[in-house]
Amino acid sequence: MRASSLLSEGLAVLRKEITSELRSRVALNAIVLFAVTTLVTVAYQIGPYRIHEDDRPHLLSALLWIILFFAAMSGLSRVFVKEEDARTGKTLRLAARPGAVLLGKLLFNLMLTLALETVVVPLYCGLMGLAVRSPGGLALLLLGGGVALSASATIVAAIIARASGSGTLFTILSVPLILPLLVILIQGTGAAVTADGLSPVLPALRAIVSLAGVTLVASFYLFPVVWND
Amino acid sequence: MTERKDWWKWLLGLWILAVVWAAFFYAPTARGFKGESARIVFFHVPQAWVAVLAFCVNLVASLRYLRRHDALDDARAAAAARLGLVFCILATVTGSLFAHVMWNSFWNWDPREISIAILLLVYAAYFALREAIADEERRASLSAAYAVLAFVTMPFLVFVVPRIYFSLHPDTIINTKGSMDMESRMFQVLMASLMGFTGLFVWLYTLDVRAARIALARRRRQED
Repeated sequence: MRASSLLSEGLAVLRKEITSELRSRVALNAIVLFAVTTLVTVAYQIGPYRIHEDDRPHLLSALLWIILFFAAMSGLSRVFVKEEDARTGKTLRLAARPGAVLLGKLLFNLMLTLALETVVVPLYCGLMGLAVRSPGGLALLLLGGGVALSASATIVAAIIARASGSGTLFTILSVPLILPLLVILIQGTGAAVTADGLSPVLPALRAIVSLAGVTLVASFYLFPVVWND
Repeated sequence: MTERKDWWKWLLGLWILAVVWAAFFYAPTARGFKGESARIVFFHVPQAWVAVLAFCVNLVASLRYLRRHDALDDARAAAAARLGLVFCILATVTGSLFAHVMWNSFWNWDPREISIAILLLVYAAYFALREAIADEERRASLSAAYAVLAFVTMPFLVFVVPRIYFSLHPDTIINTKGSMDMESRMFQVLMASLMGFTGLFVWLYTLDVRAARIALARRRRQED
């Protein structure tokens, strides 16, 4: 009963986020345009043939996640900063419990991250000539990575919105938390590019699921402090 | 009274002097390393250990702050982070010196070098966050939240990432098979150094916390 009402409150916050985003489209435009601009620059300067065949899996995986990470950083902080800018935070505190607010905002950031991955990854594979031997493995990595990235970014966004709302501070606080995730994702993506089946990406997947799990648990524990301080 | 309390600080000074002497004259030369370069282990490992210990103290103080909202717990967390940052820089510098002697390069992007670099970034981010908030209570609660969040990701950095990537770093003291592979005299010196550095950390930490307690008491008296 309590869990289902928290879920329904969280979904209401998510609906509010979607409606508000569809009105302005600030976060979506920032993320997708940043990603596409960076992707075009990388593809133009490096392209499919400038990297040696042996180095391709690792370098192309690293470039892909750098593009996804910085594109996500350009928009995911908006989810809490906009409440402080518009002074709607107090109303939201009265309307929903902290857990529901975090759930709604987290799901919204997850949707943005998955939308970003859906646009960027096929384009990247096409422009950079990246052939993936384990598409299922890559899809699972993108899903797990999306959840972990959104979880970290959402709680850090909540912290910086209560601090100064600065985008620079968001990146400074996020990088040390997300770097281990990026390292594991790059390694896993390299494995998905070079080997068939799911087994080569399983070590990275396990680490990502664990990292996403502990980040989510810590976020739900800490969020009431951050939100109501 | 004060002098009677200070005996352990004199003992600590003598202990560290003895460790420095033992590191150069008692411990034998390690096999498989260039010249006497391996002797840096007696200072590098304890510095890295104190950096991690400070991170743990920072976590405990942050959790206590989140439960009790006592300004002194925030001061404890900040003191631990400050010392952690100093020892983290020292561990990075001594590690780089060793890397230069062994592999002719100060920085090799080894997984353990990346771990310590990210620990440095965590401490730097923690202080960047503290500097960005003027309100003391908000600064304390947000930095405590960030400290807890950073702590939960550290095991992945310290234990998972170095096992995914190839590492040049010599085996850790307790290796992956759960056993210790170190000559007994070297091990004695290392343990003595670990105790000495831990004592040094406790001394500096209590000094910093005492200074913070006095500053808090003075501010409260002014407010009254």
